[in-house]
Amino acid sequence: MTRRVRVVVFAVAAVGMAVLLVWAFAGARPFGTSIHPYGDLAVRAALEQRATANTVASVTFDQRGLDTMGEEFILFAAVLGTSILLRREPDELARTVGEEGTEDRAGSGPTPEMVRLFGYVVLPFVVVVGIYVVAHGHLSPGGGFQGGIVLATGLHLLYIAGDYPALRRLRPQRVFEVSEAAAAASYVLLGLAGLAVTGAFLANVLPYGTLGQLASAGTVPLLNTAVGVEVGSGTVLLLAEFLEQTLVLRERSGRPDTGGSR
Amino acid sequence: MPATALTPVIIGLPIGMAAVLAALGARLPRRVLDATATATAATVTVLAVLLLVATSQGRVVAWAGGWTPHQGVSVGIALVADPFGAGLAVVAAVLSTAVLVFSWRYFQAVEVFFHALVLVFLAAMCGFVLTGDLFDMFVWFELMSAIAYALTGYQIEQAQPLQGAVNFGITNSIGAFATLLGITLLYGRTGALTFAALGATLTGAHPDAVIVVSMALILTGFLVKAAVVPFHFWTADAEAVAPSPVCALFSGIMVELGIYAVARIYWTVYAPVLPVSALRGPLLGFGVLTAVLGAVMCLAQRHIKRLLAFSTISHVGLFLIGVALLSPAGLAGTAVYVLGQAGVKAALFLLAGVIALRLGSVSERDLHGRGRDMPLTAALTIIGGLALAGLPPFATALGKAITEDAAASAGLGWLVAVFIAASSLTGAAVLRMAARVFFGLGAPATAHPIQRSDDRSDDRSDDRSDDRSDDRSDDRSDVVGDDGEQDSGEAEEPSPARAPRTMLIPPVVLLAAALALGMLPGLPATMGVVAAGFTDQPFYAAQVLALPLPGHAALPAPVDWFTTSSLVYGLLSVALAVLIAAAAVLRTRLPGWAVAVADAGRPALRGLRALHSGHIGDYVAWLLVGVVSLGAALGVALR
Repeated sequence: MTRRVRVVVFAVAAVGMAVLLVWAFAGARPFGTSIHPYGDLAVRAALEQRATANTVASVTFDQRGLDTMGEEFILFAAVLGTSILLRREPDELARTVGEEGTEDRAGSGPTPEMVRLFGYVVLPFVVVVGIYVVAHGHLSPGGGFQGGIVLATGLHLLYIAGDYPALRRLRPQRVFEVSEAAAAASYVLLGLAGLAVTGAFLANVLPYGTLGQLASAGTVPLLNTAVGVEVGSGTVLLLAEFLEQTLVLRERSGRPDTGGSR
Repeated sequence: MPATALTPVIIGLPIGMAAVLAALGARLPRRVLDATATATAATVTVLAVLLLVATSQGRVVAWAGGWTPHQGVSVGIALVADPFGAGLAVVAAVLSTAVLVFSWRYFQAVEVFFHALVLVFLAAMCGFVLTGDLFDMFVWFELMSAIAYALTGYQIEQAQPLQGAVNFGITNSIGAFATLLGITLLYGRTGALTFAALGATLTGAHPDAVIVVSMALILTGFLVKAAVVPFHFWTADAEAVAPSPVCALFSGIMVELGIYAVARIYWTVYAPVLPVSALRGPLLGFGVLTAVLGAVMCLAQRHIKRLLAFSTISHVGLFLIGVALLSPAGLAGTAVYVLGQAGVKAALFLLAGVIALRLGSVSERDLHGRGRDMPLTAALTIIGGLALAGLPPFATALGKAITEDAAASAGLGWLVAVFIAASSLTGAAVLRMAARVFFGLGAPATAHPIQRSDDRSDDRSDDRSDDRSDDRSDDRSDVVGDDGEQDSGEAEEPSPARAPRTMLIPPVVLLAAALALGMLPGLPATMGVVAAGFTDQPFYAAQVLALPLPGHAALPAPVDWFTTSSLVYGLLSVALAVLIAAAAVLRTRLPGWAVAVADAGRPALRGLRALHSGHIGDYVAWLLVGVVSLGAALGVALR
């Protein structure tokens, strides 16, 4: 189709889509009403049955923990897929890190001292916050997905600080590959443990404890930790693939300015 | 192991083993890796068969997390296995095993990622067919997609796989957005996500805007996955470039799961609120369009994998027609057809992989007469082509026959013509390809640029541009030309004198299975009973939600095995396929009037080709047209 035809077809369809959506939304329940059958049930199940203060965590890791296993593996598959698509090609050259252009942020010039200092100083705090967010996922907003991202991005403050060699030393890819896969597998193992003990996959088999205590909610904190490690490691690996592609790998023919594009 | 434990283990085992392989993989020798992955898939096959056997006693319902319903209400996710779901899990596991065996020798530099991805893909497909929960189905759908994009782009040495993967990724993601939006709308209305609870809540409701639009949106993602026209554009682009064993999984089972989702969601969620009369017309329209367009495009291809991709599209159209009859008999026929097609199409894609490995190309023109010393591959390809055309007693023919009967008894006898046309055209395309490649029949392609004949890059989509550049060359073919000297790097050895046995056994087994299934006289009757259970929504809801069971719906008339008329139709399709293939091969010797007829169709064909432009903007525009047409058709049908 020519550009004009394509735009016309799209515009007509988009108008039709808008009409459909307005028609549907006009018939939907008004926003903010107090009646919602699932919401009421889920909150009651979280607080009364499972001593899980963070209801969202109860839905994510207990009531609908199977979905979360699938979602965890979506990230797992995305990391594997990225590794495949960005794997080093035969015609690509891996440069030595420390060589001109690899130690710094790609082509953005020398890092200002303040940014450098900020990166080094803030990193440990961010890591502590990340661990906190994972560990308290069943009590307060947060959890494995959020905390994992905080942890992974925290490490990359080193990149912001312009010290790519240090970041590389801090994240040996092999170790993170193993921790990511092991964390993903441990979610499945916890599920199978539930199956073995009660006959239901992902059943919450640990004592529920007292609402609001760190040791409460049964398996939810464990599943949270598994997801936290998986998401943290997976995100580190994802970013590593892209950073290596941008900073380290070059086509052999040597077009240094277009590194990373193929 | 109790049956309720089988369902989660079928999902958890391959997904867990994938993680283990990913963790250890780099240290494992290739042989151990191959053996572990194959053994895992084989174990899942056995477990799925056990589950299928267990479902003959009734649905196997397992609530994840142990959240069994109280008074029909649960906050958890139900895993619900019935014979169709468990049967599809068996198909997925068998095909994954076959593909893993095939890949032992197919890939050279395979890393652990391929095995891990295939295992997660298997788990996702099993989750998809065994879940009883709308959102959970969406999660497995997304997982399948994430892996499918990566597998499509597997051969990164070339530019086309990435383009194919990107087109696939964008179209599927837009479909997924639509599905998620539809789920949101429906959830906002009902507060439920379990199919059973959704259906129970909607019973007796008025089919208003939320219900109609949510259905159109939810189906969109699955129709994209199912490669239904006009949601289908990604399919040929992706299957042209994905490694052949991956295509076997895509065409053999993944695409068909989209059709399964349409049937499952209608019969458990919307059946109580949307009458059959409202849905039949729109679905039939999409089905006929898909069957016809896919068949015509299939015959027009010279790139073997694109050809097979379009034949899948055409067959999916036939499956959608079978589902659109919205009767147990139609469903039973479609189920048998899907089984047969899974074996036949996966086998054909694996054979395309053998051709690519041996001859270094998948272009019918490049390969003219070059397959003369591959008798077994040739024989299997021809058998596959005949089975695709509907040669009795292959299961493809049986499924086609049952669906045709169901259409006729629904007063839609004209659909038989669509079935015969689609199956004979797609069969003819394969037979023509076989005649040219293996026997060197017909005129060799002179117009084709021969200078590339020594490059052994397989699986490239260049032939499509060659096809189109018969009369005009567009910029796309130049882009492709840049890549001309590159090596595919996919094949294990440049061109082994013989195809390894492990690459020929899987297609033999798959074709034999398709044949054996068609020879079971009891299969249609069983499928009829199973389909009647599948469509019995009140019973499904009560069983899943552990409520007092209502009486079974009345059993429909038993479904027959081959009847005389269905045998005649089957043989007619095959005869037509052979004639069309012969006419295509011997084009130059045809009488003048026949050439004139063929030439008359050329402008239309050129228009169709131009629609499949490879431009993602076009694909998205047509996808949107599809959603709006579906929504509007449903809305109008309910007036």
